[in-house]
Amino acid sequence: MFQLSNEGLTKVKKELQRYESKDSAIIPALYVAQKENKGWISPDVIHHLSQVMDIAESKITEVFSFYTMFNKKPVGKYHVQVCCTLSCALNGARELADHLCHELKVRAEEMTEDGRFTISKVECLGSCGTAPMMQVNDRYYENLTPESAMNILRGLK
Amino acid sequence: METKLLSEHYHQDDFQNLAGYKKQGGYQVLAKALKMTSQQIIDEVKASGLRGRGGAGFPTGTKWSFLPKNNEPRYLLCNADEGEPGTFKDRLMMERAPHQLIEGMIISAFAIQSAKSYVYIRGEYNEPIRIVEKALREAYEAGFLGKNILGSGFNHEMDIYAGAGAYICGEETGMISSLEGLKGQPKLKPPFPAVQGYLRKPTIVNNVETLAAVVPIIKDGAAAYKKFGTEKSPGTKLFSLSGNVVRPGNYEVPLGYPLKDLIYKLGGGMKPGKKLKAVIPGGSSAPVLNAIEAERATMDYECLAQMGSMLGSGAVIVLDDSNCMVDMLGNLTHFYHHESCGQCTPCREGTGWLNKIVSSIMEGRGRLQDIDLLVKVADNMKGRTICALSDAAALPVLSFVQKFRDEFEYFVREGRSKVRGISYAQMHH
Amino acid sequence: MPKCTINGQEVVVKDGATIIEAIHHNNQKIAHYCWHPGLSVAGVCRLCMVEIEGNPRLQIACNTVVSEGMKINNTSEKVKDAAKWGLDFHLINHPLDCPICDQAGECGLQDQYMEFGKYDPEMAERKVKKKKVVDLGPTVVLDTERCILCSRCVRFTDEVSKTNELGIFNRGDRSEIGTFDGKELDNKYSLNTVDICPVGALTSKDFRFRQRVWYLKDAQSICTGCSTGCNVKVYFNKEGLFRVKPVFNEKVNGYWMCDEGRDIYKFVNKNARLLKGKKKKPTGFEEFFPGALAKDISSLVTADPGKVAFVVTGQFTNEEYDQVFSLWTKKWGSKNIFHWLNSPEKQNEFDGLLLRGDRNPNTQGLLKRLKDFGISTQWKDLITKINTHEIDTVVVAGPENPIWFPDFKEKLASLAKAKSLIWMQSSNHPEFENVPAGTYLIPLKSFVEKEGTFTNYSGLDQKFSKVTTIVSEALTLTEACTLLAGENLMIRPDPNVLIAAHPTADRVTLEHRKKNEFVFRRGAL
Repeated sequence: MFQLSNEGLTKVKKELQRYESKDSAIIPALYVAQKENKGWISPDVIHHLSQVMDIAESKITEVFSFYTMFNKKPVGKYHVQVCCTLSCALNGARELADHLCHELKVRAEEMTEDGRFTISKVECLGSCGTAPMMQVNDRYYENLTPESAMNILRGLK
Repeated sequence: METKLLSEHYHQDDFQNLAGYKKQGGYQVLAKALKMTSQQIIDEVKASGLRGRGGAGFPTGTKWSFLPKNNEPRYLLCNADEGEPGTFKDRLMMERAPHQLIEGMIISAFAIQSAKSYVYIRGEYNEPIRIVEKALREAYEAGFLGKNILGSGFNHEMDIYAGAGAYICGEETGMISSLEGLKGQPKLKPPFPAVQGYLRKPTIVNNVETLAAVVPIIKDGAAAYKKFGTEKSPGTKLFSLSGNVVRPGNYEVPLGYPLKDLIYKLGGGMKPGKKLKAVIPGGSSAPVLNAIEAERATMDYECLAQMGSMLGSGAVIVLDDSNCMVDMLGNLTHFYHHESCGQCTPCREGTGWLNKIVSSIMEGRGRLQDIDLLVKVADNMKGRTICALSDAAALPVLSFVQKFRDEFEYFVREGRSKVRGISYAQMHH
Repeated sequence: MPKCTINGQEVVVKDGATIIEAIHHNNQKIAHYCWHPGLSVAGVCRLCMVEIEGNPRLQIACNTVVSEGMKINNTSEKVKDAAKWGLDFHLINHPLDCPICDQAGECGLQDQYMEFGKYDPEMAERKVKKKKVVDLGPTVVLDTERCILCSRCVRFTDEVSKTNELGIFNRGDRSEIGTFDGKELDNKYSLNTVDICPVGALTSKDFRFRQRVWYLKDAQSICTGCSTGCNVKVYFNKEGLFRVKPVFNEKVNGYWMCDEGRDIYKFVNKNARLLKGKKKKPTGFEEFFPGALAKDISSLVTADPGKVAFVVTGQFTNEEYDQVFSLWTKKWGSKNIFHWLNSPEKQNEFDGLLLRGDRNPNTQGLLKRLKDFGISTQWKDLITKINTHEIDTVVVAGPENPIWFPDFKEKLASLAKAKSLIWMQSSNHPEFENVPAGTYLIPLKSFVEKEGTFTNYSGLDQKFSKVTTIVSEALTLTEACTLLAGENLMIRPDPNVLIAAHPTADRVTLEHRKKNEFVFRRGAL
């Protein structure tokens, strides 16, 4: 069963105090929990948060399932999100994503066998002027070519 | 040539820090504003004709004046949930000049007498979040935020809220829902946010660029600001240029600037051997212009409206002649299908339907009547929902089909793209 | 009190009333799903579009407050067209499984499509697939595909039951209602979600697949489950009663009723009833016509009325109490009338919404009449009097819904100590098997078989009418007591009697349902 670390618990409790409405802490708490749960939100995470925050599980689930940044299933150590919306698509983003999947021998939205990578095709990330781009965990990599993107991924520890 | 009213110092790395920002006169406008009355600031902003830079283009001073005239607590929210495909100006502004935004926000908060504001930044913007957070700490330490700002007696608290991935949170009431800890679903209007917004308290939501623009307006006055731009679209605006151009990027020019100059002079024009085919002038929701229209267009609210499109967020997406318009519309219908929040039926079902029809056409299952059906479905999604996402999803469909109908018909008849000569399966293995 | 015109007709509405309320008040038709008068306004189905003079855009009627002089139209071509397309948007991903859908016949989608629909569906794409037959909890089954996401049920659990079990998860056309993994929709009011579901997404486990609704008749009545006295409709046909649903009454129950109250139909159907008058012999029960039996045993009562006690529950009508008490006190001068409350310590319990600890529909009516007739007796006196043989015959008017009387067995045992026991009741009870020889059982009518008045907890008198006859030989309390008094009574036979449910067919249904229990597991299909 998932349990927040002491540090995580402190963070969540702080977020509960931070905003005028207690519910506002749901998103920050989900971020904290996702970090501590290998990058995704499992049902026991929601159950635990519900107890810690005293908010109905259904309300946390609504929020969790609405926003794309909370992962509904396990993701690789490096979650590679390639923006494929218009400006990026015009600059070869879809081909880039396909290339990464091909090189890593994995289908989009699935995890590589070694658990290192998940490649996702996502919607606009606000890097339209530096397309194509990818976001690896928290970091943006822009102005990519299929080769440079693969080099970046290979260079990750 | 750009006209850098806001972005003059964006190239300087230290502009990000309080020290660097102050070196360029930062927070002096705040000091000036705090000596004015709230009403004077509102009047100045009204007189400047500043229109919301997030997409709707609503006059900012007028929006502020919708607040109830009483002492009820009110909130100022900065909309930094930049998600309109093609738009990346707010990100630049937060990364390069967080203090400009904060200064603009404090002045605006003083104008509307708000004691609390939030900067709602989309969750994917880790870097801007980090930078604005740091700038906030600096501003607090320097006494620009908190109690009795610069001895004026004005108190103001500012905080950040990070979204979590939802285009709809860029809609002001969707953002309010999200900030309240709910799904980011837009709220019914009435009541409007200025009357009942965040936590049912009067709330003003303004875009990053709008709030930053308050700084030069108060600094030099409305008259000076109005010297830029056109009569109905005063001032300057950051345009996010992207797509098939040589030098994509953000360019600040006066409103009324010719679109072709933006593309050719500032953006370096088309790549070698390619010709301009179409331009989406105001973010993905804006109806597309064909090359002829793009030649004539100027970047202001009235010209683009007259051409049946809109200025929107100022995201200019340039498409060259190597693109299949059916494929590109499919990209957009996919986006809106993915982003519809799902509460209003016409949008929830319509966005999916549109996407399926375009997919059917691309996968060779299309029928000629599907092209008219696209128009019918889109027509019936317009103006029928709580927020404008449904319209935003419908408008590209209507304009793409209207202006590039031959490509759709070709795809239906031949099962492959007129432009690229290949089928969908060949386009996307 | 603003005045407006709706489709040319002038209407005065309450201050703050919305257009949809005005239209309803004016008995005009308007398409809608998400709006429900007992819930907050969601404004999401976008069907109740109206045209307001001076406004180029159509507005939704549910979120627009009527203002003075407003000219509203919902019959123009523009509005009709919007409703048509609105309905088509609802239908494009809705499965057309009406033949196997339990909601068919009372489905909002069917009804409104017939009234306002486009009649020319153009959707040629594959529908979105979602989970069917999701077990939400002890009472409700969800079909996610059929759900049109009107959010009524979610608002109900948020705003009325305040239990928050339901939510709408995901977004766009992947949205679906549901409960959090492992949590059940389990509250005392859960079946209201089935009532307000405009389509067949939420169905009642108790009712689904039992009857096609077009084979049912309905009639209005009062719930006998507790002293709140919710206004209800009972649904029945010749085989018996099948379900109970709430009927709006602003003063009593609003739009809702509790789940337990919905079970009252089970106590009145034949299989739960005393069908014949019976006398316990050492070898078992001997059956009689109840009328004849009551008349026969009147000698027990009339021999020495002073030694007879009458025990009565709060389950009978004011009219019955009046007539019976008058008989007892005036004819015999006896004040040996004792009232039997279920769990007296729970009498004042209230769950804050509707359900009360007093599980009698007419305790107030009973207490008032006891007072009017000057009767003030204590239960413990009765027990003493039985033990000292001051009382040798006890006549009991027992409860209709004995499972809510936890002290039933104990009361039966203590009253059975009297020399003679005459027990009158509508429901059968397993404990009757253990009564001593010489005990008489007389079947009474249930609330659907008679008319009368109940006084609810707040003192409100509510009249109800006879719905149907289930046990042809059952008597009203008045009839039974009149016969016990040895008087003649003309009881007209009722021609319109329900037939017995077909036992074999019913068993097959039950077995079939049991066999299919497995599909009720969460997400099994």
